Amino acid sequence: MGKGIGRREFFRSSGASLLTAGAALYPRDGVSAAAEGSPAKPQPSGDYKCKWYEFSEAKESDSCWSLSVGPDGRIYAAACAEGTPGGVVKVVRYNEAKDALDYLFDIDKMVDDPGDSGRASQCKIHYSFVPSMHDGILYMATHLSAAPIDQVAYSAWLSWHDEKRCFRGSALLAFDTKTDQVKWWQTMIPKEGCRCLLHDEERGLLYAISDPRDHLHIFDLKRRTRRDVGRLGSINSQALFLDKKHRVWTTNDYGHLVRYDPEKDRLEVSPFVLPHNPEFQTGWHSVFYDVAPSPDGECVYAATWIANSYMMRIWPNEGDWPRVEDLGPNTQKRDPTVSVDTFVDHCGGLTFAGDGQLYYVASRWRDPVYNPMGPEHKEREGVVWRLNPATLEKEEVTCLVHPRELAQYVSRGAVDHNGDLFFGHVGSRPSGIFKVEMPADRKKENAHLPIRMWG
Amino acid sequence: MSEKKPKIDYNSPKVRAQIDEIVHGTFVKQGTMLAFPTGFPGATISILPDESHITALDVSPQGLVYGGTSGKRSHIIVGMFHGVTGMVFDMKAVEGATHCPAVCCGKNKLLACVNGPSGGGRILTTGLHGLPFDLIQEWGFQRPAFDDLGECAAGEPIVHAVADASRDRVVGATTHHLFSVDFASPKIRVVAEVSGSGRLAVGSKGGILGPDGKGHLWRFDPQTQKLEREAFKLPAGRWDKTPLVWARAGQSGLLYTADAGGQLFSFDEERGFSAALGKTLLAPVYCMAATFDGRVFGSCGSGIAKMFCYDPGRREVTNLGVAVSVFERRRYGYVFGDAVTGRDGEIVFGEDDDGGHLWLYFPRIQAASA
Repeated sequence: MGKGIGRREFFRSSGASLLTAGAALYPRDGVSAAAEGSPAKPQPSGDYKCKWYEFSEAKESDSCWSLSVGPDGRIYAAACAEGTPGGVVKVVRYNEAKDALDYLFDIDKMVDDPGDSGRASQCKIHYSFVPSMHDGILYMATHLSAAPIDQVAYSAWLSWHDEKRCFRGSALLAFDTKTDQVKWWQTMIPKEGCRCLLHDEERGLLYAISDPRDHLHIFDLKRRTRRDVGRLGSINSQALFLDKKHRVWTTNDYGHLVRYDPEKDRLEVSPFVLPHNPEFQTGWHSVFYDVAPSPDGECVYAATWIANSYMMRIWPNEGDWPRVEDLGPNTQKRDPTVSVDTFVDHCGGLTFAGDGQLYYVASRWRDPVYNPMGPEHKEREGVVWRLNPATLEKEEVTCLVHPRELAQYVSRGAVDHNGDLFFGHVGSRPSGIFKVEMPADRKKENAHLPIRMWG
Repeated sequence: MSEKKPKIDYNSPKVRAQIDEIVHGTFVKQGTMLAFPTGFPGATISILPDESHITALDVSPQGLVYGGTSGKRSHIIVGMFHGVTGMVFDMKAVEGATHCPAVCCGKNKLLACVNGPSGGGRILTTGLHGLPFDLIQEWGFQRPAFDDLGECAAGEPIVHAVADASRDRVVGATTHHLFSVDFASPKIRVVAEVSGSGRLAVGSKGGILGPDGKGHLWRFDPQTQKLEREAFKLPAGRWDKTPLVWARAGQSGLLYTADAGGQLFSFDEERGFSAALGKTLLAPVYCMAATFDGRVFGSCGSGIAKMFCYDPGRREVTNLGVAVSVFERRRYGYVFGDAVTGRDGEIVFGEDDDGGHLWLYFPRIQAASA
């Protein structure tokens, strides 16, 4: 029987038991089977040491959607549990002294919305850690998707009007990294989750994209009030970014840039479509997956959320609409007549490191026609790439190594104040994070600065 | 200037209306057609144009639309149009096959018949497809494995096949033999010699019917596996020029067919054939299907086909014009190879053309009688 691998199936199964991508694919006449994007050539990983940190005290965790560096330069991660009815996210921090994880708190207890409430639970934080540098606060906002504790699944559309089942809303928490206390919390977006969050610290504003209605919201931190700016579409963009003019940028369903300009107080849509595969895509679903700011603040690097994700460089401070450079596909060629699972074909974890280079993780998988990797490779791999912004040359520096599972899916990446790389993993239970120790000559203190202001 | 050429006032409302009628009234006069490509729009390419002639359709109990294509290579496809879906999944490209005369849905299995340039028609089976996760959000598909049951009769192409009323088995015909396959234990059983020359149908009492020579139908009982030759005499008409096609009203089991001149008849296993019900604007009739209120919709005529409707309440045949899709896919439809009734009574047409699409036809809602 044909098997559709969706979100539910992915979280029910371990990463290792997922489909063997490409096993039933066939070549088309006249199509080269040469790989692109991430060719299968093993690289020595000795200089970049990889270590796995499991969420061992969050047994139900199945994903780490948020991983960010806090205002204190330490790494924070979300141990999410969306595949478990009534699942609750735990906030975790990497403890460099112990070389281990500290479990800070369970969200449900902090926001008085217990996992056994019968409602959709506070199961995850989804690209929604943002720092506040002047006061050491780490803001975080919760997201939905786990079923109520006694249901097999949750549909936000089905339960929208059901007071007993509907998600209470995205809870916004202000966590003080100096005292390890939650200073305050409140429901930021009633009934909806927060897909991604951004902080305009100069203006004291948070920007959030809600799910399922896909609206952009502005939260005033001083007044603690929220304003709904309007609808973006149906597919959540997975990232927001900020430019020097305090404009907030994201994407819509059809691969256009969307910006909110505070001067105009409206959403504007670009007259062009972002780079995508021209053979089997149209721009539809080429929403942002991850966006990393260049250290000089002049441009950002973005990867899209669709199979055969594309990398691009966007210069938001230039021109009426930005110059967008197409940096090509992040993943390999494939049979264009069948869609590769979006949990198999993926790119995320974009972050600049102390050496001024962009790092990110792109998946690579065995495909009998398009990427026939040898037995020295795993079925699917998470390849850590290093992109030189000056030359745009990219170099495979290592592969992520999970002790039991495959490691092709990385959500977010960040660099801590010591200059080491961290990546959030999706696809194992318990979930966890990877630390990739940077080579000494590529490492520097406070490499996380200037800090990224969005999740 | 010729005196025959009338003077035309292009500004007159009457002339403008005539122009509109000629330009727009030519197309889908009632209801709405949507052409859906043979892929996942925005995520995969469609089946190659010369492999995408859709010549066979069936609908599963769950409402998914299965199909088979013909051309340089046959593909077995499944279309999903309800829930958060909206795609056609190319389940298999069948090497060595260039024609798909039939796909048949059982309760949980699919059986596909394919012919190639050499050898006899083969039968392939696989499980029915489940609904995927939300296809606006995230997805992934793996092509299923198929079992190849081999040739039905050595060297003979398959002409047509249907699932019986119970969906427990398939009955089909090659050019010279009748065969039967149980979904539960799929083995091909050749049950008789018949000359297959047109499509088969499931009668109102569950009998399987097929053309028997130039003037009759045979009837096969799928339960007892008994074949009755020349069970029914075809009504007066031209039956030797084009292969038989059928539509079946799901509620009553009443069948409709048309002769080579487009004369429509109904057929019931107890009462036999009706008198001629009417005549389509063009002939032959290539395919047709009945919706839940009994109306029959089909496609007739060569080159640029026109759709028709037979309304049994009014006992009239109406020309519905040329197929056109103006939603998302902007396309004219010229040739249709098969038609089935979808989950909600919409008619699904398989386009038998290069770059073939699945066309969903939503008939006009009829006004309530006073």
